Amino acid sequence: MVRIFCEGSDDKVFLRLLLNDLKKSEDIIGFDNFDSIVKVMGGKSNLLDKESYSTIDKQVGKQLTKILFIFDCDFKEDDKVCGGFKNSKKAIESLISALDWKIEVDYYIFNKNLDYFIIDTLDNKKNFEGCEECFELKELNKNRKILTCIYKSLYPKKPFDFSHQNFNELKQKLKNLFKDEK
Amino acid sequence: MQEAKNKHFIKNIEIKNFKCFDDFKAEGFGRVNLIGGKNNVGKTAFMEAICVNVYTLDIKTFVNVLFANEYARNHLENINKKITVKDNLEKLDLFYTDSNINELEYKILERDGVKEYFFKINDNEITVNINDYSFSLLRNLKVKFIDSFGFNNSQLKEVYEAVQKKDKEQILYKYLNEFDENILNFKIIGGDKPMFKVDVSNNSPYAHLEEAYRDISEFGDGLKQYVSIICSLYACTDSYLFIDEIDNGIHHSKLDKLWNIILILAKEQNVQVFATTHSDECIRALVTANTEDVKTYQPKEHILKDDEIKFIELGRTNGKVDSIIFNFKELENEVAQNMEIRGW
Repeated sequence: MVRIFCEGSDDKVFLRLLLNDLKKSEDIIGFDNFDSIVKVMGGKSNLLDKESYSTIDKQVGKQLTKILFIFDCDFKEDDKVCGGFKNSKKAIESLISALDWKIEVDYYIFNKNLDYFIIDTLDNKKNFEGCEECFELKELNKNRKILTCIYKSLYPKKPFDFSHQNFNELKQKLKNLFKDEK
Repeated sequence: MQEAKNKHFIKNIEIKNFKCFDDFKAEGFGRVNLIGGKNNVGKTAFMEAICVNVYTLDIKTFVNVLFANEYARNHLENINKKITVKDNLEKLDLFYTDSNINELEYKILERDGVKEYFFKINDNEITVNINDYSFSLLRNLKVKFIDSFGFNNSQLKEVYEAVQKKDKEQILYKYLNEFDENILNFKIIGGDKPMFKVDVSNNSPYAHLEEAYRDISEFGDGLKQYVSIICSLYACTDSYLFIDEIDNGIHHSKLDKLWNIILILAKEQNVQVFATTHSDECIRALVTANTEDVKTYQPKEHILKDDEIKFIELGRTNGKVDSIIFNFKELENEVAQNMEIRGW
């Protein structure tokens, strides 16, 4: 069985959407319940903390045979240890090494964060950036959470464009995770 | 003090050569243990092996429990057949189990064309020529095993006696009334007829009946399972209760109440409970029965510590049966996040 570890419940909702899209395109076959595969760790610091995995330790090598960590790199200026891509990469690699699970483990780091990532894939991205500038939203919330909330409110029935090239690397990692799994 | 009271609890087990278990070890059992796993992974066999281990007091109880388990498992096939202890022992062939309670071994030896039974109970080793063995059996009355068919009337009568001897009839009626508000009482009438008293007043669904006491066979399996479990908890004081497919016949809305009763009585009567299930609802009900808000309204002496409740997930690793044991907090967290823990 596989497991994905993410930071928060918004990430889980997003990943379920993406996984269902991959199922629809038959890139993932044989899974119905993605809810039972994605585990919320309760923030980046918990996700990167070895102590958060005591229950998982019992399952690794038995129930769990492949694992994927997915999280935001955030901003360097906000966290000197784990902020920014370089530091995040260093932290996750150090965690994986400390956990020493003898199974296939991989990771994917969002550039900045999930909301930034999503806004970058929108076909009307410019409109949202205009809105961000007009209302000086960056000063209020540089994570772009407000923008994705606006998007979801404006287009509740329009899914994200998962065919956008920015999704390719993440989609490939998810496909690899589910490869040979049933 | 607590440790001394619970010293009969089995904490770990090693099983060799028993059904699907070639060489299996598990440790960290609690007071109340729920076992989950996919079909045919060995949930019942796991519980049977534990039952054999704790049931055995001597050779007679050892042979009895080996026979009884096998007989109960093939219940339907054994109807109209005369199955002997000898048949069953020869079918079993080989068995080894070790725990903090007992180290047991059974096998058939063949020397110079002569077959012998070999029994080991801790330091005591016995070898008997098959033809000389008397096959006498002895029951350990304090250990109960409710198989997936449920109790028959005579088994139910036996455990109900414990309720009577402990003057717990009123509590039993209260629990049954909470299960179904139209059930007012339960009795064994005439020495062998289990009967429920129903409400025959005007607004009751039983208002059309003249006689309030009705035979147990008129009710669903769920109610029988419910009463069997409650009475058994009183019958297994300072001992063990095993329940195969605990949620058999019981509507999901009644499961958290059942677990609540089990948690209270397991503590009060000092019983170690093992139960199996396939059902997600049954696992969730166990979690619900022990949440902080439920515990707030319970007397302190009835509250179980987190490590007294365990969920044992069975699965196969490289073809061999394996286990993962979750304590209550871990189970609660896995359930809250809808993680799959019903086997792999």
